[in-house]
Amino acid sequence: MGRLAVRGLSKVYGKRDAPNSITALRDVSFEVPNHQFCAILGHSGCGKTTLLNIAAGFEQPTAGVVLVDDVPIREPGWQNTMIFQDYALFPWMSVYQNIVFGLEMKGWPKHKRNGITHHYIDLVGLEGFADTYPHQLSGGMRQRVAIARALAVEPRLLLMDEPFAALDAQNRSFMQDELVRIWQREPKTVVLVTHSIDEAIKLSDCIAVMTRRPGRVKEFIQVDLPRPRDEDDSAYLKLKRHLRNLIHDETGDR
Amino acid sequence: MQSNHLAPINGPERSVPIDDAQALPASPAAAPLGVRLRMWLFGAVSALPNLIFLAVVILFWQFISKVWLPRIDPQMSVLMPAPTTIAVTAAGMIASGELFYHMIASLKREVFAFLFAATAIPLGIAMGWWRQVYSQVNPIMEILRPIPPLAWIPLSILWFGLGDEQNEFIIFLGMFFPILVNTIVGVKNIDPNLVRAARSLGAPEHKVLIRIVLKGALPQIITGVRIGLGVGWMALVAAELVGASSGLGFLINDARSMLRTDTITVGMLTIGLIGLLIDTAIRVLSRRLLPWSLALGK
Repeated sequence: MGRLAVRGLSKVYGKRDAPNSITALRDVSFEVPNHQFCAILGHSGCGKTTLLNIAAGFEQPTAGVVLVDDVPIREPGWQNTMIFQDYALFPWMSVYQNIVFGLEMKGWPKHKRNGITHHYIDLVGLEGFADTYPHQLSGGMRQRVAIARALAVEPRLLLMDEPFAALDAQNRSFMQDELVRIWQREPKTVVLVTHSIDEAIKLSDCIAVMTRRPGRVKEFIQVDLPRPRDEDDSAYLKLKRHLRNLIHDETGDR
Repeated sequence: MQSNHLAPINGPERSVPIDDAQALPASPAAAPLGVRLRMWLFGAVSALPNLIFLAVVILFWQFISKVWLPRIDPQMSVLMPAPTTIAVTAAGMIASGELFYHMIASLKREVFAFLFAATAIPLGIAMGWWRQVYSQVNPIMEILRPIPPLAWIPLSILWFGLGDEQNEFIIFLGMFFPILVNTIVGVKNIDPNLVRAARSLGAPEHKVLIRIVLKGALPQIITGVRIGLGVGWMALVAAELVGASSGLGFLINDARSMLRTDTITVGMLTIGLIGLLIDTAIRVLSRRLLPWSLALGK
């Protein structure tokens, strides 16, 4: 299971009401049903990474709560795993060791770990690279390892912080397709933070569009287009135009 | 001695990403032994021209000691032993075991001192990881660190008397701070996302500390050990000059009283050679043990 509920979430950096305090999030609420893919779309500095950090348990909210299956998230753990923009692979561990790390932390017996790890190495298409080290891999392959590592612990909620931002355009598009393929084989509740409209439409079941700081949910959109999504489809283009207008309103001075 | 405590910070490794198709585990150790040996030989031979100037200097030195100095003042020539004289003396000292005896005495002190100085590693990790430990311990360290190890010699003689303990204490002081400072820097420079990733995968605090923090700081810790052993080796010779009855420092000081400049020179060269060997050994070892740390491999 993995039903996500964000309720009245606010985050203020610095003392509340102090002149130099920064309100990153203000009263953010939305829900993501089990095994749905949700994108959080917004400009940089709109608090979307803060939202993700709270959902991962790295930061504590000033007010409100993030619930997974009605249990509030208070600390990081395998139930709510994060995939980072810079992959954050452990450089001293091989691909296999990186992926098995979480299973060791869960205290699973060795024979079980081995099977699961190889299952995920195969799932992300890294057969034959089990003993390779991260610095020997390309950016796209590193991101595959990061995805496999996060999936291997079977999280209820998978969080992704602009996971493809460091890749070139071609690799990014390819990895987006790969992510959809992997997600369809291993359904998970996913929250992905992005500033790319195309990435949001291409991947998501629902899109939360954020305002500029202090971040609020401006509009919560269900995406009911069939997969794989056709970028030239009229419904796709209509949604894209709508999102662009929403985002465009948020640019410039206020 | 103090200025080189802090080695250049090794940033997280950033290698050039390679295409998916050609991303093969490529390491130089994979080549067969014969090929590696030939490559090494080729490298050695092509480096020979670099030694021309050194050869000229040695020849010039030989000329001064054997021809020029005896002609103007035979008394003076004893102050400048010729390379050939040094070689003969060295051969004699090696054959008699004298050189080996003093070398082992010195190395033993270096090793013992290192065993104690290694406590700087856990202390450095604690200081780098917990802000409270850092702010409490750092003032003490900042007071002690700028005191050159040699300034401790008088007090240490009164504390320990003349002998191994006193020598080892001085060497320990030379090693401790480079290791400590580099360990702290190593811990503080760990990519915070690695720590977050580990926690996000369910790692409890002690596992984060051992498997992420210690491991991530290891290249910088080894750099600290390298610098520490070097500083310790320098401090060792100084300590032995003052208060020892064995060791390379004692050897060269003892030879001075008998005007044996050749013995002094052999001792000096041995000290330099061992320092170089220790440094090279650690570099090779760290490259072997930490192949992922490209920053250290150079």
